[in-house]
Amino acid sequence: MESKNQPMLQAIDLSKRYEDGHLALDNLNLTVETGQVYAMLGGNGAGKTTAINLFLNFIEPTTGQAVVDGIVTHEEPLKAKERIAYVSENVMLYPNFTALQNVDFFVKLGGKTKYTKEDYRKVLLRVGLQEEAHDRRLKGFSKGMRQKCGIAIAILKDAKAILLDEPTSGLDPKAAFEFIHLLNTLREEGKAILMSTHDIFRAKEVADIVGIMNLGKLVMQRTKDELVGEDLEKLYVEFMAGYMDEVA
Amino acid sequence: MFSVLFEKELKSIFLSPKFVATFGVCSLLILLSVFVGIQEYKNEVDQYNTAVQLSEQQMMGESSWWGIENVVFRKPSVMQVFVSGVNNDIGRSAEISTWVEPKLENSNYSSDTLFAVFRFVDLTFIFQVVLSLFAILFTYDAINGERERGTLKLALSNAVPRAQYVLAKFAGSWVGLTVPLIIPLLVAMLMVMIFGIPMDGGDWARVLTLIGSSILYFTFFIAFGLLVSAFTKRSAVSFLVLLVAWVCLVLIVPRAATMTAGQIAPVTSVAELESQKDRFRTDRWRAYGMQRSKLWEERRTAMEGMTEQERNDYMAANRQAWDEEEATARDATMDEMNEHSRKLDEELRNEKMAQEKLAFTLSRFSPASAYKLTAMNLADTGTSLKNEYEDAMKDYRTTFTQFVETKREEDRRANRGRRGPGSNANDDEPLDLAELPRFDAPKQTYKEAVEPTIIDLGILSVFSVLAFAGAFLSFIRYDVR
Repeated sequence: MESKNQPMLQAIDLSKRYEDGHLALDNLNLTVETGQVYAMLGGNGAGKTTAINLFLNFIEPTTGQAVVDGIVTHEEPLKAKERIAYVSENVMLYPNFTALQNVDFFVKLGGKTKYTKEDYRKVLLRVGLQEEAHDRRLKGFSKGMRQKCGIAIAILKDAKAILLDEPTSGLDPKAAFEFIHLLNTLREEGKAILMSTHDIFRAKEVADIVGIMNLGKLVMQRTKDELVGEDLEKLYVEFMAGYMDEVA
Repeated sequence: MFSVLFEKELKSIFLSPKFVATFGVCSLLILLSVFVGIQEYKNEVDQYNTAVQLSEQQMMGESSWWGIENVVFRKPSVMQVFVSGVNNDIGRSAEISTWVEPKLENSNYSSDTLFAVFRFVDLTFIFQVVLSLFAILFTYDAINGERERGTLKLALSNAVPRAQYVLAKFAGSWVGLTVPLIIPLLVAMLMVMIFGIPMDGGDWARVLTLIGSSILYFTFFIAFGLLVSAFTKRSAVSFLVLLVAWVCLVLIVPRAATMTAGQIAPVTSVAELESQKDRFRTDRWRAYGMQRSKLWEERRTAMEGMTEQERNDYMAANRQAWDEEEATARDATMDEMNEHSRKLDEELRNEKMAQEKLAFTLSRFSPASAYKLTAMNLADTGTSLKNEYEDAMKDYRTTFTQFVETKREEDRRANRGRRGPGSNANDDEPLDLAELPRFDAPKQTYKEAVEPTIIDLGILSVFSVLAFAGAFLSFIRYDVR
């Protein structure tokens, strides 16, 4: 378990301007420490996924740095990725493989080769995937079931940081509740979790820090304590509208 | 890391329903083509043996060396089981006579025109057309399909070097698609042995080289599929691009090359050639006639003032000299015409060779052509087969005519004073053909067969390496989002 208050994910003056001139991320500064959950809220095109892509080095920053456990991702991407687990909004796995085969492949890609099938089963059960589904091909899996597989892969990778892109999207209320419970457990284990979401309710429920993004900028950032007694939904609407007025 | 990716790639291929379908179709096609090839070869061997026997019997039925005519036959090659090439297009027999140059006639397709329409499906065709399409079918979405599915993003969120990823993709696809092909090919080889096709060491070496070349050709399409897949973002686009490229490379470039070569290096038509020969013959005979007329005019001038008796005596005294002079002039004219014909034929052959060389050079921009040329050279069923046989037949014709001339001379001496030349000493007895020189079918050694393929194999290797290098570089910079 990581000791608390150690910065694990850092965006330092991080900006991304695409070749067509569009500024997707504008001078983002944020820090996620070990044992912390950071929820990035924002609408479509706010820059949440761009920030995650920069941490994964899927794109290079125009300026600034995305840092994982002290490693600048665009300088040493493979080293940085060893410390990250990633769950996308819509987890897509190989439809001709069973859940176990998919988990086995992606966990091995994550560098973990010592696990047994039983270990995989335990984690799949922990994330709520019924045992009868473990040996079934993914062809007939619902989005929620695939999402659970993706989360199982992230857990088994046992990375220091976890990046979640809209993880509760498509999950039924029960699954979403279980997911939040799981995030709390992972936080207890010392993982630094950066999560992009539209779900204000879940963000408030689980996050230690909430950031609101709009048009590539982090327009608001509050800790859990600062949000006590605040109506996050109201804040979100106000900040979005305020920033839009400012831009206008 | 590489082994994990490689293993996954293999598993993906083996578990995909399209693999089961394509593997089944390919196996069936390979086995069927070799089986049909074996049957065709056996039929041709039977036909060849029967034709040779009939020809010998016909010669034995002759009672005089003066009327003897020989027909030689093209021996079926065991390699036509795998590569039919132009085997069915060129003639199977040629008449060997003193007067006419041997020309291969009576091809399989001239007697069975139906097969000329649909052609023979051999191993080369299966690799060149069917398997290259299957290679595309398996690789068109190798990279962009993973991107579309979202699995690429998940895979590359791990510490996976892109170089290893693309290498494993290529190696996995290659092994997953190539190794299963070895199974029907091995069964096909077993069939060849079971059916007793007389293959020697050289033939086996050729077959193995052919299989190697086929795999190299297949490798190009795997690498090419990977390249287009890594170059485009959507699998629908890459499929379309690959399909168009396949049509161009396999169907259009070889034909366009032939047509271009026809325009750049035209060949004199047979009609034009015959017309040239005819014109020359007419001119020469006219010149000969004028020369003879002039000569007779001189002779008549010389005989002017002579009495009829003196004229008759003069003519009788010079008759033999004049006949000899006439014969010499006629022979010289004939020789001149023959030499002219030979030169024209030689020029035509050179023109054809130049056109062929140009067409082959241009067509080599297509890996399909390079592969086909390799296969035909290895099997010795290429365009050179006709020339090889006709050259061997010309050599045989010289030996044969010398032998027959000797026999005729012997007959002439034996019959001198008895009857006119041309009669056999014993008219009722069949000719003794024991000493008759036999035609030896030309056969290339393995080394001779492989040498001309080096360029094409080199081209295929370069194409494959370039395609893979392109895929590699594209993927290194590929936008996985």
